[in-house]
Amino acid sequence: MSDNLARVSFEAEPTQVETSVYRPFRIVSSAPSRRTRPRIFYALTAVAGMAAIIVAQLLLSVGISQGAYEIAGLQSSQSTLARTAASVTEDLAKVSSPQSLAANAEGLGLVTNSNPVYLRLSDGAVLGAPASASGSQAGAASLVPNALLAGSPVLSQLSSDAAAKSAGTVAITSAPVVPAGLAAPTTR
Amino acid sequence: MSVRTSSAQDGAPTHSTTSRPGRRRTVVTILVLFAVIAVFLVRLVDIQVVQADSLTKDSVGNRSVGQVVYGSRGEIVDENGVVLAGTVMRYNITMSPTNAKVFKRTVDGKRVDVSVADAAAEIGAVTGQTGDAILLTISNALEANAEANFAYIAQKVDVDVLRAVQDLHIPWTYSENSPSRVYPNGAVAGNILGFLSGEGVPQAGLESGQDACLASTNGKETYEKGADGVRIPGSSVTKTEAVDGGDVVTTINYDLQWFVQQTLAARAQETGAAWANAVVQDAKTGKLLAVADYPSVDPNDVGATKNPDDRGSRAFTQSFEPGSTFKALTAASVLDAGVATLDTGIVAPFRYLPSNGANINDSHSHPDQNMTLTGVLIDSSNTGMSIFGEMLTDQQRYDYMKAFGVGTATETGFPREDGGILHPVDEWDNQTSYATMFGQGLTTSALQVASIYQTIANDGVRMPVTLVEGCRQADGTMTNVPATVGSQVLSEQAANETSDVLEMVYQKSWVSSKWNIPGYRVAAKTGTAQMPDGHGGYSNGYLVSVSGFAPADDPQYVVSVSIADPVKLNTSAAPAPVFQEVMSQVLKKYRAVPSGASAPDLPSTW
Repeated sequence: MSDNLARVSFEAEPTQVETSVYRPFRIVSSAPSRRTRPRIFYALTAVAGMAAIIVAQLLLSVGISQGAYEIAGLQSSQSTLARTAASVTEDLAKVSSPQSLAANAEGLGLVTNSNPVYLRLSDGAVLGAPASASGSQAGAASLVPNALLAGSPVLSQLSSDAAAKSAGTVAITSAPVVPAGLAAPTTR
Repeated sequence: MSVRTSSAQDGAPTHSTTSRPGRRRTVVTILVLFAVIAVFLVRLVDIQVVQADSLTKDSVGNRSVGQVVYGSRGEIVDENGVVLAGTVMRYNITMSPTNAKVFKRTVDGKRVDVSVADAAAEIGAVTGQTGDAILLTISNALEANAEANFAYIAQKVDVDVLRAVQDLHIPWTYSENSPSRVYPNGAVAGNILGFLSGEGVPQAGLESGQDACLASTNGKETYEKGADGVRIPGSSVTKTEAVDGGDVVTTINYDLQWFVQQTLAARAQETGAAWANAVVQDAKTGKLLAVADYPSVDPNDVGATKNPDDRGSRAFTQSFEPGSTFKALTAASVLDAGVATLDTGIVAPFRYLPSNGANINDSHSHPDQNMTLTGVLIDSSNTGMSIFGEMLTDQQRYDYMKAFGVGTATETGFPREDGGILHPVDEWDNQTSYATMFGQGLTTSALQVASIYQTIANDGVRMPVTLVEGCRQADGTMTNVPATVGSQVLSEQAANETSDVLEMVYQKSWVSSKWNIPGYRVAAKTGTAQMPDGHGGYSNGYLVSVSGFAPADDPQYVVSVSIADPVKLNTSAAPAPVFQEVMSQVLKKYRAVPSGASAPDLPSTW
């Protein structure tokens, strides 16, 4: 804008420049009659568009809120279920503890035998001296405490007898089904 | 605003054309308008710029909820992955004492008032307290602070109790999470596992020693919620992830551990022992399969074990003079150094007075006996052992002891493990020089005794004693895996010869009927050591022990049993049945094949 060439031309003919500055402005007449109809049309379109946007936004927000409630509901049921799962897993670990198994096994009349005897298949030799189980652990109270088992019921022989009696009415009607594909074991 | 200002300016010229008072009114209006706008502007800048940060913080504080995301402390598992120590979620029932007032509840469609006393009784019935106790908590809290808004009703209750309390719908009760440690198998391995304090700080055992692996880091989650507690959709969520701890994989077998503890405790009670321990070790790998202590602790209920000394594992932390089980080490050293063979004969007197001034007695009076090394071990003769032992210099024997791991804590890394006392040779006096040949004048832990027998069983290669296989990270990788390289302490021949001698001891010892395991070849040795009285002398108590391994033809398992001061039976007949039962169980459990070949027959006399 402020280059040398322009300045030279201003200095050469200053009067010509001034006359062009005083040239009067002319107001351009508008054409209102032509624009009236389109304005109403545009307004309606705009209002309708806005209404549509508002309705869509409302619906969206309702949808999202509904989703939030659903998520909250599902999350709460998930945490409830997770707590139940943790609780029953804990119970399972508790009853599978050796103390619980031993107490229940002894309650059912089982005795341990710490006198292993082996039959060697190659020559039919009996290794070890077969003897009836002394039940080294039997009768002994658990000397390895487990505070978690306090109050847990222990199966007893009596209750299992009662269970056997009540179950006695169920007659076994058919022989166990042997899958056809399973070959009979061959003893050599 | 800019719109309003421009309309006011536009309005000014139209009014100015009407009249003078009108123009003044206009000016006043404009000024008032500007003043109001200026006030708004100042306030706007103040809110939006000057106070913006603090206001935003307050608003988020009102809407957002911060929640601790608990990281789970790692589990301690046995060799097969059975959980020995795990983390479970427990719950604290809390209340707001200041809000503990009568509330309404709908019962059968009718609104009824529930008094504080009634509500307290209902809670108490669930949590196992009396209603009065809860009322007392409320009154105490209010006495301390009339506005008290927090008090515990019950801590660390399980989910069933929590749900029962929640079902009461008492508006002034709340709950909070409280992660807790649980030991599903009770006292099984409780001596090794250790326990945590009420605040979750590790106190003993692996919980303490492996804390670097087990420890977790809690995270935090912040989100915005509405008045009904539902998360506002799209609200900002900041989350610091919780980091779970790693799992400690031990070499213990929980089933075997239970059996050993039960058997040991039964015998210890029967013989009136002060304490006892038993160690089962894999002879080929050095892994500990069971380490039982009596008395022991149930980590679920530490308070039930009154004596704090009984809450750890003496097998690791209390060394003792091993006595005659140590003779196996001296015999192996003599054979390995080549200064004697299995045929070397000596004459063992009842009393032996070596030239250095020491005085060695046997436990029972006997005439001079012509013995081999085998005979010395069968009779457990101190004088005979001394005559064999002095074939080596003190320094030689010291070096063998060091190589066997005596005087140095084992590789388990168990907290406060006792490495025993083995003084340097130049500190040995005349008596100590001989006493160290048969396991007095030095101390070893139960683990070190087992390790000595493991070395003999494993062709002379001592394996590092291992209790922890490593720390299993969340992605399944194992870190902190201990070294598994053994060291050759004895020649294979010397180890096997010692094993043969110990097998003769198993067959010929006076307790042989008490530890007989039909079908298997077993090598074992008894020990009966006087116990120190704590004042530099010996008490009347004995530490009786049996150590050995089986099957002797291909040794796989080492069992070492020590019983301290069994007042009703202070001989090695006390531990022998424990050894027999435990070894039988180990052989049965791991399906060790019964021995085919017959045991060697070595001469015990000449």
